[in-house]
Amino acid sequence: MLKRGSKARSTLFTLLMLLPGLAGFFGLFFYPMMVTVVRSFRPEGELVGWTGEHYVKFLSEPRARDVIVLTFVLSISATLCSILFSVVLCLVLRRKPRGHRFFRLTMLIPRVVPGLIGALGLLLLLGSRGWVNLFLIQFIPLVEEPIRFNYTIPGLILFYTWLYFPFTAVTTLSTLESLDPAIEEAADVAGANRWQVLRHVVIPLIMPGILAGSVLTFMAAFGAFSIPLIAGGNYRPLSVEIYKQINFTPARWSAASARAMIMAALQVAFLTFYMRILRRPSA
Amino acid sequence: MTLLRQYLRAILSARKLLITTFLLCFGLMIYLPFLMIAFRSVGKGWFGRLWLPPELTLEWYRWAIEVTNIVDITKNTLIIAVLAVTMATLVGIPSGWAFGRRKIPGKELLMSMILLPRMIPPIAYALGVAQVFYRLHLINTHFGVALAHVAVCAPYAILVLSATFEGLDERVLEAASVCGANPVRTFFHVILPLILPGILSSMIFTFTTSYNEFTLTLMTYGKDTTTLPVRTYLAIGEGYWEVTSAMSIILVIPSIIVLFMIQRQVAPEKLVGGFKGV
Repeated sequence: MLKRGSKARSTLFTLLMLLPGLAGFFGLFFYPMMVTVVRSFRPEGELVGWTGEHYVKFLSEPRARDVIVLTFVLSISATLCSILFSVVLCLVLRRKPRGHRFFRLTMLIPRVVPGLIGALGLLLLLGSRGWVNLFLIQFIPLVEEPIRFNYTIPGLILFYTWLYFPFTAVTTLSTLESLDPAIEEAADVAGANRWQVLRHVVIPLIMPGILAGSVLTFMAAFGAFSIPLIAGGNYRPLSVEIYKQINFTPARWSAASARAMIMAALQVAFLTFYMRILRRPSA
Repeated sequence: MTLLRQYLRAILSARKLLITTFLLCFGLMIYLPFLMIAFRSVGKGWFGRLWLPPELTLEWYRWAIEVTNIVDITKNTLIIAVLAVTMATLVGIPSGWAFGRRKIPGKELLMSMILLPRMIPPIAYALGVAQVFYRLHLINTHFGVALAHVAVCAPYAILVLSATFEGLDERVLEAASVCGANPVRTFFHVILPLILPGILSSMIFTFTTSYNEFTLTLMTYGKDTTTLPVRTYLAIGEGYWEVTSAMSIILVIPSIIVLFMIQRQVAPEKLVGGFKGV
């Protein structure tokens, strides 16, 4: 009897401890999300009535397809670039070259400073008067005019990669370091050359880590807002498109909410698809 | 063909040079943007194809301080960050405890629910937060902006703290209760000193998140609660690149100093994780 009472009390205590977290979740995430869902079905500027016109209107615009495709092109190419770059970087850092501690911290800098500042610096660096263009003009033959990087799609992909590769790099590095060196030695003894060891032993073994990290990069790139806002120019992915709707006077909250729901749904759908691919090799 | 192969072999044998070049390029790619901002913020008359500004000046910093009212804005940013860290930690400690030390049915599900805000694009729920806050008159108050930041910070605090509590040794707690300490006393005299490093690292990370938060601030700020990132965004829109650069330097230096300072105490790699224990 006594034991049962204390057990009930301990369950109550656990629930009480969980309460702030759950309250935060429901109050600051779930409820606002529901407000957005409801708002997206309201006629513009009204708080009663139901309509699906915002979805229909946005999706039937020819521009909608461009916006969605642009969002996916940017986030997927940034993810692929970060995977490529991170794998090379981590393989190099793993050998512990001189100053590897410093480079490990350097890797985190894009995540520690505000994204806006990173984008500003890149805009300056890659601009027509930036050091990159000065270097190209002075030292590379055939380049006479400054090359345009800013406000182009390849430039944006570079910006995204710069800002979001640390997610992939950190997880790849930690997977690579938990790898048992004996496995590689075994492959080496078995007569595989360096490239074969890398291609057939190391890369397959760290693949789960790379993919887990790339999910984070993808999510961040898909939801990226500050970078396309200042560095996107005429290219507006979904997030900027949403922000533009509430910047109209009067603000178009319902239209913005409908776009936000489409964006969230696309992200969840793609992540589910991605996770399925992720699981396949092990199953 | 053989020439090509020889050439490739020569490159491969020069591995060390290759690695050094690669790392050098990587370092340049990360640091040059900031160096460029720094030069832009102290340069004058830097037009045309010049590598460095012809004249140095501190005028833009004076502008940044006088015209953009950076002192007030820094104050706002710090007040909001401190409020957000306090709230996120107050939410994170009990919930982290429950997650780390109690058997909860459906813990995995609950945890992924708590982490859901990190999976949905911030702008999507920032819209809802802004609408709710308009109704509650929380827009343009320090408390309101900080509360919006908690939506991003709290999942992170809960994650870090639950890992901290999980690592707590059960035997120490038993020893405390054997010695006759009641739960409250055990908490303040035994548990707290042990978990303080974890709490501290969670606080540092939430502080950095709040200090850099842009999307949620943009949706909930007003003219009395402008923070540094939002002001930088507005300044970029106004087009004064020099003044913007000066502001950015003021904004960015604390972050980099903090990163280099905390690297020994806490693993800064955790800063970019925060999802499924990665």
